[in-house]
Amino acid sequence: MADSQPSAGRGQLRPALPLLLPAYLWLTVAVFLPLSAMVFFSFVTDLPMAGRDWAATLEHYAAFFQTDLYGRLLLRSLRLGLEVTLYCTIIGFPCAYVLAKVLKGRSREAVFLLVILPFWSNGLVRVFSWAVFLRGGGVVDLALNAVLPFEVSIDLMYSYPAVVIGLVHSYLPYMVLTCYLTLQAIDDSLIEAARSLGASRLTVLRRLIVPLAMPGLAAGAVLIFVPVVGSFMEPRILGGRSGTFYGTVIEDQFVAVFNWPLGAALSFILLAVVLAVLALAAPVLRRHGA
Amino acid sequence: MTLTRILHGLGRAYVGLVLAFLYLPILIMAVMSFNASPFYQLPIDWSTDWFSALAGNRSLISAAWNSLYIAAITTAIATTLGTAAALALHRYQFRGKKLLQALLFPPIAIPWLITGTAMLIFFFAVGIGRGLHAILLGHVALALPYVIVVVSARLRTFAPELEEAALSLGASQWQATRRVPLPWIAPGVIAGALFAFAVSFDQFVVSYFLSAPGQTTLPVQIYAAIRKGFTPEINAVSTIIIVLSMTLMLLTARFFRFGGEK
Amino acid sequence: MSTRMMNRTIGRGLLAATLLATFCAGVAQAEEIRVLNWKGYGTDESWATEAFEAKTGYTVVHDYFNSEQEMLTKLRTNPGTYDVVMINAAFTGQALEEGLIQPIDTGKITNAADLTPEMAQSELLNTGGKTYGVPWVWGLTSLAINDKAFDQKPDSIEVMWDPAHKGKVVLRDDALEAVQFGAIATGQDINDIKDLGAVKEKLASLMPQIRTFWSSENDWNQMVAAGQIDVGTYWSGAASRAKVNFNLPVSFVIPKEGAVGWLDGLSIPAGSKNVDAALAFIDYMISPEFYVEWVNKVGAPVSANQKAVAGLDESAFNRAVLGDPAVAERVVFQKPVSDENREKYLQLWQELKAANQ
Repeated sequence: MADSQPSAGRGQLRPALPLLLPAYLWLTVAVFLPLSAMVFFSFVTDLPMAGRDWAATLEHYAAFFQTDLYGRLLLRSLRLGLEVTLYCTIIGFPCAYVLAKVLKGRSREAVFLLVILPFWSNGLVRVFSWAVFLRGGGVVDLALNAVLPFEVSIDLMYSYPAVVIGLVHSYLPYMVLTCYLTLQAIDDSLIEAARSLGASRLTVLRRLIVPLAMPGLAAGAVLIFVPVVGSFMEPRILGGRSGTFYGTVIEDQFVAVFNWPLGAALSFILLAVVLAVLALAAPVLRRHGA
Repeated sequence: MTLTRILHGLGRAYVGLVLAFLYLPILIMAVMSFNASPFYQLPIDWSTDWFSALAGNRSLISAAWNSLYIAAITTAIATTLGTAAALALHRYQFRGKKLLQALLFPPIAIPWLITGTAMLIFFFAVGIGRGLHAILLGHVALALPYVIVVVSARLRTFAPELEEAALSLGASQWQATRRVPLPWIAPGVIAGALFAFAVSFDQFVVSYFLSAPGQTTLPVQIYAAIRKGFTPEINAVSTIIIVLSMTLMLLTARFFRFGGEK
Repeated sequence: MSTRMMNRTIGRGLLAATLLATFCAGVAQAEEIRVLNWKGYGTDESWATEAFEAKTGYTVVHDYFNSEQEMLTKLRTNPGTYDVVMINAAFTGQALEEGLIQPIDTGKITNAADLTPEMAQSELLNTGGKTYGVPWVWGLTSLAINDKAFDQKPDSIEVMWDPAHKGKVVLRDDALEAVQFGAIATGQDINDIKDLGAVKEKLASLMPQIRTFWSSENDWNQMVAAGQIDVGTYWSGAASRAKVNFNLPVSFVIPKEGAVGWLDGLSIPAGSKNVDAALAFIDYMISPEFYVEWVNKVGAPVSANQKAVAGLDESAFNRAVLGDPAVAERVVFQKPVSDENREKYLQLWQELKAANQ
C-alpha cells in the first residue's frame, strides 16, 4: 500500500544502494555465503574434508521421500507452527489493541516495557521454569490442592500441549509488539468518524482496524510461524515422549551423528516448504489488508 | 458511553492476565533461585545460597558480562543497518526488490543450529576464525532480519503524501526524510532494537560455535550446564539480569517516549 | 530527536567497534593450557585447577562440548587451540584417523605405571605401537532404581517392561545408547548387532512404559526426587553421585543380561603448543590425590588407575560394586561404531520416537 512513490520506476536502485548495501553485505558474508556452503554440502555424499571421499548426489533430498518419517514430522511441525501462531494472534492482538488504544501515557509505556522484558530472560531458563510449573507435584498441584477439597494431580509435562504452551509463551511478545506498532498508527479520529457514522464496534473492528493493522499481524505471524516450525529446544525439553519434531531430527544430524549433508538437505526442504506456505498466505493477507 | 468504560475496564483486566501469563515462569525462576533444593523440590527451603555461590562463580559472571556487552553492540549495529535497509525497501522501487525481501527469510526460517554450523565452517575456511568478532558478525546477521521486518511493518502504516508535501514545499530530500518519516518510525526502530537485543542476548547456538576457548557468553554456559547439571545458580543470575533489565527499562522510560505521538 | 538518536547510535557503534578491536588484540595469554571437555566433568573443578596451577604455574582454561560430534567439530575447526581433550575411547580411533590427535609419550607420565593394564593397552587407545589416549575413568551404563519403588533389587533388565512401572520408566534420548540397550535386552552383542529388527521391536514394546527421555543427570535426579520415576537407564558415576552427594534414594543395578561399559580417555590434540604442560595435566588427572578428592567431593566414575581406586574407602561404590569380578564378566565395553551404523541407529530411534508419541 504505502510501498511506492508515484513516479516509481524500475531503476531506483542507485539511490537505494547506500542504504541497502551495509545490511545486505553483512548478511551476505555472515549468512548467505555460509548457507551457500551448506547448500553445496547438501548435494554431496560426505563433507569435503581430510580423508573423506565425496561425490555429488541427490540422495539426501531423496531420503526425505524414501521414508515417511520426515514428511510426517514436517507436517507435525507445520501444525505446531500454525497452532502457536493462531494462539499468539488470538491472545496477542486484543492485548496490543488495549495497549495502543486504551492505555495512555505513563501506564502505556510501563506495560509496553513489561511485555518486552520477558524477551530478555534466557529462553532455556524460561523453558525449565515451565517444566517446574507444569509437572505433577509442581506449583499447579500445590495451588489447586490448597483450594480444592479433593486430591488432584495435573501433569501437563511431556506432552504436545506443554510444547504449545512453552512456545506461545516465548513468542507472544512478538505478536503484541508488531500489532502494537501498526495499531498505534491508526488515527483515533478515523475510528471516531466511523462510529459517529453509525458503524457498530464489531464493524469498525472488522472493516477498519484489522485491515489497517494487517502489516503488523502479518509481520508477527511470520516472525512466529517461521522459527516455530524449525524449533527443537522447547519440543525436546517440554515434549518428552511427544517431543519429536522436524527440528529435532535436523538437530540430530549435527549433534548425534556427523551427517551434515542430510541435515542441510532437510533444512533447505524446510525453508522451501515454509516459503511456499507464506507465498500461499500472502494473497489472502493482502486481500484483507487495507 | 458506559459500555465503553466497561469494555475498557475488561481490556485492562485482560492485559493484566496476559502479563501474569508472561511473568509466570520468570516469577518461578526468581522464587526458585531462593530455594536451597537443587531439584526444585517443594516446599521451598528458603536461602540465598545460590546467590553466594554465584558471587564466587567467576566464569558465569564474566559470561553474563560478555553477553550484555555483545548484545549492546549488536543492537547498535543491527538497528542502524536494519533501519536503513528497511527505509530503502520502503521508499524505492527497483528490480530485485522482491528477491531482497525474500532473502530475509533464510536466517529466520533455517534453525539457528544450521546457520551457526555453516558460519563456523565458513569462517574457519575463510580465516575469520572464532572469537568475539565472529560472534558479533553472527549476532548482527541474525538480528538484522528482525529489525528490517519490524521497521518495515511500521513504515507500511506511513502515508507518503506527507513526505511528498514536504518535498513540494521545497524541502531537500534529506530534510524531507529527516523531519517526516524518521520520527514516525521511531517506535518501530526502538522495537527493532529491543528485538535485536533479545536475539543476541538469548543466542546460544551461534555463540558456542563461534566463541574462542575461555570466552563464553551466558547462554552458552547455561546450555552446557543443562547437560551435566542445571544448578540454580543459573536461576540466580537470570533473576539478577531480569531485575537489572527492569530497572534499566524503567529508567529509559523516563527519558524516551515510546508512544510516537506526532 | 530522531537524528540525534541516529547519530548517537552510529557514534556508539563506532566507539564499540574500536573497543572491540582493542579487546580482541590482546587476549592470548602465556602459561596457560586449554582443555576441552564436558562441563562439570572433573577437569574443571576449581580446587583441581588451582592445585595444578600451584604445582606447575600453568592456568587452566576450559572450553566445553555437549556431544562427541561437537567435540570432533571443535577439534577440526580449531587446530592448535587445545592442549588436552577428553575423548570417549570409542571415538579416539576416529579422531586419530582424521589426524586430530598426536601420539602421547607415556614415559613422561609418572602415574601411567599404575594404570590397569587392559585399559592402558586397549586397542581403542593404541595403534601402531603408539599411545593416543591415556585411559582416565570408566563406567557403566545400566539401570538405576528408585529405592522407594522396590522391595528388593531387581536382577533382570525385563523390569523395565514390567507393567507395574508403567509411566515411571525413563530412557536416555540417545540413539546409540538406546540401540545398545535393546541389543542387551535381545541377547545380542552390543558391538555387533545382527538383528536390528528385533531391537526395534523390543524397544517399541518399551515405549508405552516410558514417562520421558532424560538428557542430563539433573533431569533424572529431579524426577526421582519428586517420586515420578521407578527405574531407568543411568550411568554408574551419576548414580553414585545421586546417592552420595544428593542423598537421593537411588541404587545402581547391573542386570544378569549385561551392561554397557565405556572408557573415557585424555588425548593431546595435534598442533598443541604446550605438550609438556598437557602431559603434566594428564598426569595430575590420573593421580590418586586428584581422584580421591574428586570422588569424595563430587562423585565420579571409576579411575583407570588401580592405585587411585585403592585409595578409596573400602565401602565406596566404585570400589565395592564395580571391582567385583562377577560383575566385570557381564560388562561389554563399547567399541567404535561406524558412521553408517550410527546413522542407521539414529534413523531407527527417530522412527521409534515418532511412531510412539
